[in-house]
Amino acid sequence: MAHLADGRSLPGKLFIVEGIDGSGKSTQLDLLRKWLVGEGYLVAFSEWNSSPLVKSTTKLGKKELMLTPSSFSLIHAADLADRTERQILPALKAGAIVLADRYIYTAFGRDVARGVSPSWVRKVYDFAVRPTVALYFRVPLEESLRRILDGRPQLKYYEAGMDLRLSHDPYESFALFQRRILDEYEKMVDEFGLTVIDATLPLVEQQEIVREIVTPHLPGALQAEPSAWREVLAGESVYGRYLGEVLPEREA
Amino acid sequence: MTEIRFYGEGLAGFDRKKPLPGRLIVVEGTDGVGRSTQIALLREWVESKGYAVQATGLKRSALAGVGIKQAMQGHTLGNITANLFYATDMVDRLEKVIIPALRAGFVVLTDRYVYSIIARALVRGVDPTWIRSIFGFALVPDAVFYLQADLPHLIPRVLGARGFDYWESGMDFVAQHDYFDAFVEYQSSLLAQFEAMAKEYVFRSIDATASIRDVFRTLKGEMKEVLSDMKPISPKKAEKELADVKAVDRVAVPGRKHEK
Repeated sequence: MAHLADGRSLPGKLFIVEGIDGSGKSTQLDLLRKWLVGEGYLVAFSEWNSSPLVKSTTKLGKKELMLTPSSFSLIHAADLADRTERQILPALKAGAIVLADRYIYTAFGRDVARGVSPSWVRKVYDFAVRPTVALYFRVPLEESLRRILDGRPQLKYYEAGMDLRLSHDPYESFALFQRRILDEYEKMVDEFGLTVIDATLPLVEQQEIVREIVTPHLPGALQAEPSAWREVLAGESVYGRYLGEVLPEREA
Repeated sequence: MTEIRFYGEGLAGFDRKKPLPGRLIVVEGTDGVGRSTQIALLREWVESKGYAVQATGLKRSALAGVGIKQAMQGHTLGNITANLFYATDMVDRLEKVIIPALRAGFVVLTDRYVYSIIARALVRGVDPTWIRSIFGFALVPDAVFYLQADLPHLIPRVLGARGFDYWESGMDFVAQHDYFDAFVEYQSSLLAQFEAMAKEYVFRSIDATASIRDVFRTLKGEMKEVLSDMKPISPKKAEKELADVKAVDRVAVPGRKHEK
């Protein structure tokens, strides 16, 4: 079960993934989602920094380099608040499974790495639903940097932590910033009881572990389609082969 | 400011050693009480006394001002989201407008401050500890002028000015179907909330049921007192100071001091 901050439990299940960039968490969450959908569950998916209401403001702030540690923190909190109020909470109340790629621990890690007070940012996120399971993909810094930086990608200003003025070189700045975030994650493992996954294991092995961890929480979760209409379809000699084209599995 | 204090933990990266010679003056009050009129008059008068004035108000930040207004237009803004959006707007103006102006010696006049945001949150049933701790980053102002008027005085003013507004009537949560009933219910609870906050936040209550001229006279008298220990600084000099402050802020290094 997922829990509200005041301890009340919700019938749905909230599974979230965390880890520094290049830990492979999004890949694992995507695999988990496909599996859960295949098992017949209704799965809602929510990505960090994706609220249609707030996103344009965050984008403006990033593009124009307007964000300070405090405003960066608050605008991301507003983003999760909107997704919580309109998407996550309704789905959990309905008893569904919600998957979130990055969650409050991302904010705690990044904002504190930027110099924001740890107790303040934790208080700001008091509204957030406590996850059923929080998976933390632990990866050594060198390994994650190799995965991310090997192609020499163009790093964005805030992504590289350039606002912290740790280094003039974006790649070096990125590495120093990720180091700080990694340190924060490690502190949070005990504080929040994060479930650690060894992100250096082969993909398939990691996925097996992930499924093993979530499986005990699945009984009772809302099923996607009360099988009735599939049966009706079968009676009409159609199997919904092309439904995938009109009903995208996952909303854009 | 006569004394630099925050309502809570303060602002990340704020340098407490640098003085803020300006003054932060807040004008608070519910919708239709005449805040903008009085601020416009006050601003002119303070400038005529030789001070540089920076005016600001809710939803005017470069970062989040447009975003909030757009979100409110769609009536799709949830309760928690709205508060965090307002907080983003507030912190952006505090860091980018208010504090630089205070450093440069401006008299900063703000049309509403955290109190309005807290009041609108509390009447909507938001956790009081939560909302207060968020605004722990806010500076305690030198003075808060609370323009006070009861509902019978407010209603004709709102009707005469622009009619009832969706949000000012609390239509997003009040269980009333027409604007008038909703406005009455919502504004009454807002007023009660402001009354309750007056003591906690040391408001200087000003009777706003009087004529515009009388309200202004009272405000002027209070303002004289607040500015009594502050020397005027010419707008030209203040603008130059402000440019300097902003130039320094651009190369400021948040977080660097933690790095070895």
